[in-house]
Amino acid sequence: MSDIDIKRISYLAKLKLPPEKEEFYSNSLKDIIKWVDNLKKVDTSKTEPLHNVTEKTISIRNDEVSKSNSVDDVLSNAPERAQNFFKVPKVVE
Amino acid sequence: MSNNWEMVIGLEVHAQLKTSSKLFSSSPNQFGSEPNENVNFIDSGMPGMLPVMNFGCIEMAIKTGYALNFKINKHSVFERKNYFYPDLPQGYQISQFEFPILSEGYINIESGDDKKKIRIERAHLEQDAGKSIHDIDPKYSFIDLNRVGTPLLEIVSYPDLSSADEVINYISSLRQLLMYIDVCDGNMQEGSLRADVNLSVRKKGQELGTRCEIKNLNSFKFIKQAIEYEFQRQINIIDGGGEIEQNTMLFDTSTGETRAMRSKEFSHDYRYFPDPDLLPVNLSQEQIDKIKPLVGELPQDKLNKFIDNYNLDKDIAKIIIAEKQNANLFEKMISESTVKPKFIAAWLVGDIFAFIKENNLEVNSLNDKTKDITDLLRLISDDVISNKAGKEILPKVLNGEGKPSELVKELGLEQVSDSGELEKIIDEALVGEEENILKFQGGSDRVLGYFVGKCLKATKGKGNPKLINKILLERLKK
Repeated sequence: MSDIDIKRISYLAKLKLPPEKEEFYSNSLKDIIKWVDNLKKVDTSKTEPLHNVTEKTISIRNDEVSKSNSVDDVLSNAPERAQNFFKVPKVVE
Repeated sequence: MSNNWEMVIGLEVHAQLKTSSKLFSSSPNQFGSEPNENVNFIDSGMPGMLPVMNFGCIEMAIKTGYALNFKINKHSVFERKNYFYPDLPQGYQISQFEFPILSEGYINIESGDDKKKIRIERAHLEQDAGKSIHDIDPKYSFIDLNRVGTPLLEIVSYPDLSSADEVINYISSLRQLLMYIDVCDGNMQEGSLRADVNLSVRKKGQELGTRCEIKNLNSFKFIKQAIEYEFQRQINIIDGGGEIEQNTMLFDTSTGETRAMRSKEFSHDYRYFPDPDLLPVNLSQEQIDKIKPLVGELPQDKLNKFIDNYNLDKDIAKIIIAEKQNANLFEKMISESTVKPKFIAAWLVGDIFAFIKENNLEVNSLNDKTKDITDLLRLISDDVISNKAGKEILPKVLNGEGKPSELVKELGLEQVSDSGELEKIIDEALVGEEENILKFQGGSDRVLGYFVGKCLKATKGKGNPKLINKILLERLKK
């Protein structure tokens, strides 16, 4: 089993871990992965990957427009609003 | 020196599909609306909202499949590409990863005087993201989600391109095809077609180097600049004893330089997995076959037709097929008139396109004037008016100032093509010219030009030059 890079995982999960908790979470994740790794005992070399348990195919709609929500609806949950924009802390690449 | 270096380029081209509604929501797919006008709770990533596939996007992807020689896959799967950025609030982009809708296509592009086949690895459907505006406020970014969920077809080439010019030709050809089959408006300024350039360098004949990806280029000029800059940058690093780091680059349009994105202590990990909200796309052969007739004539078909059936020169035919609307205008004129296609083509790429350019018009805006245009061309080719008079009347016809025949009368531009009348004028013009006549008969051709000029002047410029020439020769040879 590969090692857990807890800094990277917390970065990807947008979680800030206090340094003293890093080892604890690292070990917990290792245990979880070890448990999931039980699945590797099953021989799947002759099994097609299954993406979905139903036999159904995707639901489709025709290419037609309908406006269901107003700008005010959409912005009603915005943390902050400036005119008709969402206003968020600056994120620049 | 960059002489023994070569560049190896692969492209990811993002084409916005011109459907009416978005890929997974029925919000309008429209550029230029007020901020957040075209957004619903699906687009804004509200919890509990479910995406529903727009079949129009599948149809456009299939059309593209036919046009770019792809294998059209009956089975494709939408997956989540996880990343966090405020202009995509659902926290992941819905895209296709392991099972794209199209695979293994190609197009032929021009490279110098030759054709070159550029292989295309895949094309898949995915959602576009919104737009962040960073320059209104020093501390905040302003987010407009109108573009969220706009359908994109990402077309991924193999690294078969080896110069900036080839890249430009490849993108132009793609753009032209997508516009012909009516799946993308091709408007690069508005971001309807954008390219990511993957570039590496190597000494000729050696193995592939480490590549850098330049993101999100949306004009031919910037693409060329970015490629040339990045090529030199990588050579300089290696020549200086360094190594290329695999990086995502941004092109700074104000300096003309590429720079690494302020990244990322960690490389991206998108953690793709099949989107549980969306079942696999399973198409029947009938569904795929049904789209084929909708593809229509492709640029190459039109080019061959214009050269073979209408006898056009290749260069002129190419100008006309460059954009579908040009070709449509040309074919409309041919179908409505008996003027020779070659004659129509010459006027179209000459004075008519010049008029369109000068007045900043859409080619389509002339679609309702084709009858007047060909009526005018008929007058010119029948020698009712001179070429010069035609040029004078054309702008008035294109501006809708009147019918060609009326304008000719109004402006008194009708040519004198009555040989009796011309003979009289010519005979008068030859009076007292015995010396010059002898010169002509002695072999001086220059005198002929003098006589034609004199006669034309006598007709106040309205004499039919061809006829004047003919009668003059008869008279002079006596």
